[in-house]
Formats: sequence, structure tokens, C-alpha cells
Amino acid sequence: MINLAARDIKHTLGKFIVTAMGVGMLLGIVLIMIGVYRGMMVEAEILLDDISADLWIVQENTMGPFAESSRVHEDLKNIIYVMQGVEKSEAMTFQNIQLPHREKPVRVVAVGYDIYGAINPINQKRLIKGRELKTDHYEIVVTDKTGFKLGEKIELGRNIYTVVGITHNTVSNGGDPLVYISLKDAQELQFLYSNKEIQNNIARGVQNSDSFLVNTIVATVKSGYNIDEVARDIRKWQHKSVYTAKQQKEILTKNLIEKSSKQIGLFTVILVVVSTIIIALIIYTMTLEKMKEIAIMKLMGLPNSLIISMIVKETVLLGVFAFVFGNIFSHLVYDKFPKLVVLQIPDAWTLFGVIIIASILASFVGVKKVISADPAAAIGG
Amino acid sequence: MSKHSAIKVQNLVKNFGKDDSLVQVIENASFEIQKGEVVALIAPSGAGKTTLLMMIGCVLEPTSGEIWLGKNMVYQDKWIAKDTRRIRREKIGFIFQAHYLIPFLNVLENITLLPQANKVSEADAKKKAMELLEYFEIADKAYNMSSQLSGGQNQRVAIARALANNPEIILADEPTAALDGERAVSVIKMLKKIAREQNVAIITVTHDERILPYCDRIMKIENRGIVFHEIDEDEVL
Repeated sequence: MINLAARDIKHTLGKFIVTAMGVGMLLGIVLIMIGVYRGMMVEAEILLDDISADLWIVQENTMGPFAESSRVHEDLKNIIYVMQGVEKSEAMTFQNIQLPHREKPVRVVAVGYDIYGAINPINQKRLIKGRELKTDHYEIVVTDKTGFKLGEKIELGRNIYTVVGITHNTVSNGGDPLVYISLKDAQELQFLYSNKEIQNNIARGVQNSDSFLVNTIVATVKSGYNIDEVARDIRKWQHKSVYTAKQQKEILTKNLIEKSSKQIGLFTVILVVVSTIIIALIIYTMTLEKMKEIAIMKLMGLPNSLIISMIVKETVLLGVFAFVFGNIFSHLVYDKFPKLVVLQIPDAWTLFGVIIIASILASFVGVKKVISADPAAAIGG
Repeated sequence: MSKHSAIKVQNLVKNFGKDDSLVQVIENASFEIQKGEVVALIAPSGAGKTTLLMMIGCVLEPTSGEIWLGKNMVYQDKWIAKDTRRIRREKIGFIFQAHYLIPFLNVLENITLLPQANKVSEADAKKKAMELLEYFEIADKAYNMSSQLSGGQNQRVAIARALANNPEIILADEPTAALDGERAVSVIKMLKKIAREQNVAIITVTHDERILPYCDRIMKIENRGIVFHEIDEDEVL
């Protein structure tokens, strides 16, 4: 049997391709939206994965250090270290700062860590130039997205830092680039007041604040020990909030980016619905353009199934072509976005399934028109 | 009903609207058309030519009466045939004022579409289509699109398409309206030849007086009824 859909598409190939490209760009945006969500999930886990801690010990009754502010004493790491089941423990700080740059300030998240400590937050695989921190002061490792070069000087607070290493793909859960400084520098930046402020505090009768604070203590658990049990002991004896790596991931992915992901999800659903409506309108217009031919075919006695099959096939093919163009479009532009966009094959296949269903639904408007077409319209000019 | 009868219509009535807005278009029309006969259907505009053609073609449901196509009664105050579209597909060929070929199919596909819908194999449908195209001397245009053909060539393809399913009846709606005098006569001569050779009954709606002498009979709709005029074939051929 003659494939009417293929013949019709071949007859108006240029128009069909341009239409599919238009719908494809819309689907490309859908793929990018999904990619942005995936990117958020990946970004949320980069720092956690690089630190590879089993436990996160933070200020009591907080969900720190990322979801809520948390302050604990640095020496808590020693207390944690001697607890049963703990293998390693280190103090760390995390703070948002703005680095002065040639063009405009760069907003980053600074990770402060003990460069002589047992837990290093810099993943060696991500270090693409230079080295790690070697001295306690005024060295900084930056991520390549900040735009700083190796050896470049950065004025930060009262001091000037030298870029000694550059990492790739290191971002915070919020998508800001990560920089790494020593714990001592980080504590100065975060907790040490200026001389004027200290004088002012003394005049007010406020005692000098403790600068030996950190945002969290991270710890690993010896093999053979149950992580949840070690966490429970720390909670019980140290009166701190303790989160396992899994719980910290949940805080980051569910609590922090839940609203963003819902927003992206809703936006994606709206885009798919809009795409379906556009496909339906295109098919409706294409069917209207063929009404005379459809009336003739019905008058000659061609069964409805043959004509309906033509409309449905054309719609599904439009969906398939649009999907292909959407993929090409999204792969061409995804790395131009400021935040990480992760395009995954399973997402593309899911969208393919959705588009096929949406195309079949969209074809109903054309099918309805076919069913209602009057064969008598073919007679009488 | 004679065994040579292709179309028989008894007391056919077609009304549009009802009560105060009732319009009676055809009133008790009765006639019989034999196989191999070419009948011209003429009447002023709005008199019901197309309505009558559509009722015979099982496209428009009459109000009452009887319609026989060959040996089968297809209508008796309601459709007796369950699938009127199948009747059209298997027994009737249509020719229109314009060629109305499907623009996205080539000449050969336009002709083979209906036979293939009738479950004729692609090879047999193509063979028959090529025979028809050779008969109409346009076999070299088999793979052309209708947009690449002249008006006369397209109309010949349209006639070939109407014949592709070996119909018992051809219903033509002003098939020569868009053609010049010479071509119009050529088309009606062709239809008459087909009617004779293939034993097909042809009803052609026309306003074109040039083709009337080539028809066997003229069927006129007068005062909502049917009146026939015989034509002496020797006078014109």
C-alpha cells in the first residue's frame, strides 16, 4: 500500500523540515531545562564527593554547614577523633566571598581546610594546573571558571593571596565556583574582626570573640563500625547535630534545590504541553490544507483508517524529526550556559516517549477533521 | 429490472430542511440507465443535478425511494448497504470538474491508490494502471507529478483513475468544464468509447452543449422530476 504520509512529507519536505526545526528548538529547550536540573544535582554533590566524609558534625539544632549557618570550635575535631569508631576528623569552613577581578568581582565559595590535616577537600583529578596549598598563609587554589591565572595575585581582606593551583569542574551546591584556602586564612576572613571593630567592641564591653571557630567538623569512620551508631554517639555525648554523608546529600538535593527542581519541572511540563499544542496546531493546519484531497479520497471510497493513518504517521514523524533537531540544538548550546547543564541519554529517551505520546494526542485534532470531512465537498467545484 | 440495467431509480425524493423551511429538490424521480450507456444530466443551476449525482453515488442519503446499482438494491427509504463507501470504492468511478488528482502522489500512484485500497496487489494495480495510461497515450508521464502535466493530460489521468477499479458506473461532474472545445469533445468521445468497450454506465452532469450530441440520452431535471431526450447516434458520429 502506498505510504501517503511519506509521499505528503516528501512533497512539502522543506516546509516540513523547517516546521520540525522550530518545534525541535522548543524540545531542545526542554532537554536543556532537564539538563539544568541534572546539573544542579551534580553540582550539589561535587563538594560532598570530593571531601568523602562519612559524618558532618555541626552546631546543635542546625542543618549546617550548607543549608544553615553553623559554628563549632576547631578543637572539637580532636574530641571527635578520639571517639570510638572515628578514623579521621578535620575542621572546615565554607563561606561566600567576592574576589576582585580585572573585569568584575567573582562570587565564589571559599573552602578552608587544614593543609596538614588528614582530610583534603581538593580532588586530585580536578587539579588541572599548579599544586595544592603548601603553606598556611596567602595561597589560594581557584577553579578555572573564575578566570584567574596561575601565579596571579588576589587581594582578599587585609592580605594578598597567590594563585598556586587551578581546578576544573569544582562548584558549590549553589553553582558558585570553589576556591580553597588554608583554615587559618579562612578563620581570619570569617571570624577575625578588624582592629577598629575590636576597639569598638571593648568600648562597648563586648568580649573579644573567638576566632578559632569553624563551620563543621568532618569525619570518616573506621571500617567495621556502623556509621549511624557512631553518629548517634556523637549526638549523645557532644550535643551536636550530626549528619551522615547520605543525610547531607538529602539536605542539599531535597531541601536546598527542591524548589528549584520543582520550578524547573513545572517549566518543563509547561514546555511539553506548549510543544504538544503547537504540534496539534501545525497538524490541524496541514490537515486543513488537504481537506479537498481528503474529501476526494473519501468520495472515491478510501477507508477512513487509511486517511487517519496518514495524519497520525505525519504527526509522529513531525515529533520524531523535532526530537532529533531538539537533540542537535541542545548539544550545540548546552555548554554556553553559565551553570552546569548535564544532558543524559535516559532523559532524552524519556522525552522521546513523551513526544511520541504527545504527537499521537496532537494528531487527534487532525483525525477529528478527517472524520468530519464531507465527501460531497469534492463535487461541485 | 433488466439484466443490462446499471442504475435504476424509483420514486426518489430528496428534501432539504423541514416544516416551513422544507425545500423539495427531487420529487418522485424514476429512471433506468443501461450498461454501456452515456447519459448527460442537464438542468439549470440549483435544480438538483449534483444532489441527484451524489444520491446515486451513495454520498448523500435520499429522503425516500429506491436506488439499485446493478443487481443490488442499495437504498429503500434507508441505506440497505451497510458500507456505502465500499460500494463507491468497488462499483463507482468519479470524475470531477477539475482533475483533483492527489498532488503529493505521482500519476501512477494516483491511479493505483484505489485498487490497492480494494486489496488488489501492488503489481496488479500497477499493471492495470500502465495499461490505462497507454490507452490514454500518457504512459510516459507515469512517474510525473500532476503539476508537471497539462490540463488535458491531467483530465485523462483523472479518467484513468476513475477506471482503475473496473467500475460498473462512472459519475462525472462537468468533466469538460475546464477544457477547450477540441479537448472537451475528445474527452466525451473517450468516455463514450470506454462505456461501449467496458460496458460501463456513465452519467455526466454538464452545462456544455458541445458534448451533448455525443451522449446516448439527455436526462433533464424539470419541475423536480426527470425527463429524457433520446439522441440519434448516427447524427453525430
